[in-house]
Amino acid sequence: MKIKEYKNELLGESVFCADHPSGLRILVMPKEGYDSAYALFAVKYGSIDTFIGNEDGTYTPIPEGTAHFLEHKLFESEELDAFELFARTGAYSNAYTSFEQTAYLFKGSTNIDKSLEYLLDFVQSPYFTAETVQKEQGIIGQEIRMYQDDPGWVVMLNLLKCLYEKNPVRVDIAGTQESISHIDDKLLYKLYDTYYNPSNMVLCITGKANPDEIFAQVEKSIKREKKNVPQRKFDPEVPEAYQKYIEKKLPVGKKQFYLGFKEYMTKPQLTLEEEIASEILSEVLMGKSGHFFKRLLDEGLIEMDFFGMPFNGFGFSSFIACGTSDNPERVAQLVKEEIARLKREGIPEVDIERARRKIYGRFIMDYNDIGSVSNCLMNMYFAGYEPFEELSAIRNVTKELVTQRLEKLTEEGSALSVVSPL
Amino acid sequence: MYKLRTAAPGVRVVSVETNEYKTNVIDVSMAVPLDENAAANTLLIRLMKRSSKQYADFTLLNRKLDELYGAYLGASVSKDGDAQILTLSICCLDDRFALDNESIAYSCAELLADLIFNPNETNGDFGEDKLNLEKRLLISEILEELDDKRSYALKQCTSYMCKDEPFGRSVRGTAEEVENVTMQDIYAAWKRILSTAVFQITVVSGNDVNKIVDLFAERFGRVKRQPRNISTLFIKECTEVRRYSELQPVNQGKLVIGYRAGTEYEDDNYYAIRVMTDIFGGGTYSKLFANVREKMSLAYYCSARFNNSKGVIMVQSGIDTDKEETVTAEIENQLNDVRNGNFDDEILESSKRSLVEALTFNSPNVISNWYSRQILSEKIVTPEDDKSGILAVTKEQVCEAARNVTKDTIFMLASDGTQEDENED
Repeated sequence: MKIKEYKNELLGESVFCADHPSGLRILVMPKEGYDSAYALFAVKYGSIDTFIGNEDGTYTPIPEGTAHFLEHKLFESEELDAFELFARTGAYSNAYTSFEQTAYLFKGSTNIDKSLEYLLDFVQSPYFTAETVQKEQGIIGQEIRMYQDDPGWVVMLNLLKCLYEKNPVRVDIAGTQESISHIDDKLLYKLYDTYYNPSNMVLCITGKANPDEIFAQVEKSIKREKKNVPQRKFDPEVPEAYQKYIEKKLPVGKKQFYLGFKEYMTKPQLTLEEEIASEILSEVLMGKSGHFFKRLLDEGLIEMDFFGMPFNGFGFSSFIACGTSDNPERVAQLVKEEIARLKREGIPEVDIERARRKIYGRFIMDYNDIGSVSNCLMNMYFAGYEPFEELSAIRNVTKELVTQRLEKLTEEGSALSVVSPL
Repeated sequence: MYKLRTAAPGVRVVSVETNEYKTNVIDVSMAVPLDENAAANTLLIRLMKRSSKQYADFTLLNRKLDELYGAYLGASVSKDGDAQILTLSICCLDDRFALDNESIAYSCAELLADLIFNPNETNGDFGEDKLNLEKRLLISEILEELDDKRSYALKQCTSYMCKDEPFGRSVRGTAEEVENVTMQDIYAAWKRILSTAVFQITVVSGNDVNKIVDLFAERFGRVKRQPRNISTLFIKECTEVRRYSELQPVNQGKLVIGYRAGTEYEDDNYYAIRVMTDIFGGGTYSKLFANVREKMSLAYYCSARFNNSKGVIMVQSGIDTDKEETVTAEIENQLNDVRNGNFDDEILESSKRSLVEALTFNSPNVISNWYSRQILSEKIVTPEDDKSGILAVTKEQVCEAARNVTKDTIFMLASDGTQEDENED
C-alpha cells in the first residue's frame, strides 16, 4: 500500500493515509505521549439509508432501523461475542449508529494490536440466526421505549418530521417497534453484503499507534473484495416545510422547543466552507456573546440552554434554534425578526471575526482527544475531504459566504416543534 | 506525576505539568457541608460564572471567553458524601497556539480569580435583577430534573434512602429553597465560602504553574481563612427494606435499587467493593449485563455503581413496568451468585483489566477531574496507586465484599399505562 502523509504545521501533527486494495481507506494519527489508542471502524450506512440502489438505477426500500439493528447484531458471533473478546484485552469497546454512519470502536492501552485484530475480525464476521434476531428485538424494543421517554430526542425528531416530508432523516435512528419486527436474518445478511464492503468503509486510529505496523496488520486482515459503493438516493424536497407546527405533551418540567429552517437543496451536500460559515452564522445570530441572546434572556423568554446550530448531511440541510421557554412561539417570532434585521442591515465584520476566533480555538482543542480526532477523520473522509481541511477552510470563509448562508433561512422553510408538560 | 503546593490554609494546589496537550485546565473546587445553605451556595456559584466587576454582564464576559479562543468556563455543583462541592473551571487553548504573544492560561487564571474574589457585587449587593434571573433559571432546571427519567428515578431513590442524612438532600436545593434565598444569604454564602470552605485548585498545564499559584496565594492573602472539616455519615447495613413507587405516563419503567455497601469510611475495603460492583453490574462481562440484558432480553441497560464517598451501591435498569418482580428477583440472584463465588475467574480478570484500562487518561479534563474529586481526601491517590489496588483484589475478597452488601431501598418509576403507542408513524 502506498502511504501518504498529511502534515499540519500549526498542530505539529500528521495523519498517515493508505488505501487497501479492497478499497478500505486507513487513516492513522499517532500522538506522542498518549498511552491509549482509539480505533474506529466505520461504514457509510446509517438510518437515512432506507433504500438500496440497484445496478439498473432503481431503488428498493428497506425497513427503518436496519443499520442500527445490524450494529447490535454484529457484536454476536458463532463462537465468542465481541464483548468477550475485548474483555481479554481490557479495551473499552462500543458502537453507535447515526443518521449517516455506523461506527465500531475500541479504546485501549495494552495489546492494541490484539484489540485491532478483534475489531477487524468481528465487523467482518456476520452471524445471524432467527433466534438471535428475535432476542435483539426485545433489547432494541426497550431502547426505542427509552428514547420515546426522552423529551430532548422527541422534540428534535418531531421537528425533522415537520421539516421533511419524505427525507429519511425524519425517521428514528432505531426505527420503530413495528419496523424492526420486519427484520429477519436473511435481510440482515443481504444488507451486510451490500453496505459492509471495504470501499464503503474507513478505519481511523489515533493515539498510541505506529502507522507502519498498523498498515501491515490491516493489509492482511481484510477478507472482503472490492465492490461497487452503494449509491445514496438524492431526492430534493420542496422549499416549504411539510408541517409548520407540532406539539407533544410529555411528563416534563418545562416547555422545550426546536425551531428549524429547512434549506432548499440543489446539490446533495454543502461544501466545507458553507458548513463552517453556517457555524459562524449560528454564533453571530444566537451565541452567548451576542445581543440577541441577552435580550431573550432579559425578557424571560429563554434559559441558558438556548443555542443555534447547523444540521446537515447527505440530502438535508437545516438550521436549528432550540432551548427551553414558556413561550416558544414568541421566541420563534423574535428569531425570525432578528434574521430579517441581519438580512437588512448586514452582518458586522467584528462579530464574524469573534466567532471565527472561537471556532478556530475549538477546532484545535478537538485535536486533544483521541476519540474526537478519530470521529473527525471519519466524518471528513465520508464527506469527501482530506484530513485538516477544516483548519484551512475556516480561514477562507468570507463575509459574503456567511451572508449567503443567512439568505437561505426562509419563512416558508421554517417549522416549530414543542414538547410541553401534561 | 503531580505536584502539591499550598496557596493558603486549606487551599491545596494540585498540578500536573505536561506539554502533551493542546489545552490547559484550571479547576477551583470548594467543599462545604451539604445543608440548608445548598440553594444559596448554588446561586452564588452561578452568579460568579455570569459576570465580574471587570466584565459586568453576561455578554461582556462571553465576549472575553471568545477572545480567549473559545475558552470553556464551567460552573458545577455536586455531592461528595455529605459535602456539597462547588466548582468553577476553565479549559483553554495552550499558549503555543495564540495568534499574538499573550498567555491564554494566565489570562484564564486571572479571570477565574476575579470571578471568585471580585464578583459583580457592591456593598453586599449582587444586583436584584441578576439574582432574580439566576433564581428563574435554577428553578427551571430543578423542574426539568423530571425530564430525564433515568436520573430522576436515581435521585428519587437516593432521597428516600437517605432521607435522614445530608446526602438525601437535593444538591442544588429545592425550588422552594431557591425561591426563598435573599441577597443577604448570597452575600453571607460568599463570605462563608471564602473563609471556611476547603479549596482545591487543580491545574493541568504546560505553562508556568508557579505564576498561577502566586496569583491565588495573593488573592487568598486578603481573606481570613478558617477552613472547616466536613464529615460524612456512613450506615453500615440496613435491616429493613423499603419500597417506593411513582406513576407517570412513560413508555418504559425505571427500577432503582439502593444498597448499603457495608463500609464505615471512604476508603473502607474500597478496592474489593469496587471490583465486586463491577463484576455485579459494571461492563459488558458483568452479571447484570450478561443475564438481565443479553440472556433474558428484559432491558437495554442494567447496571450497578459504587459511591465510596457515601458507602452506597445503586442498581439501575429501564424495564417494562410489569416485569419489576422478575427483574428484582434476577438482580438478587445475580448478587447472590457474586456472594457465593458463582462466577468465572475470567470475569474477575476481565473486570480488573477494564477498571485498570479506565485509569489510563488521555485528556487534561479527565486528569483534572481525577484529582479535583479528591478535594476532601487527605492523601492524594494517583491512577497508578488505584491500578495496583485493583489488581491485588482476590476472588475471596470480592465474595466477602458482596456478603456485606445489604439492600436498603427500592424505587420504581412505573408506567401508568396512559402513554400513546407511537409506533404507527
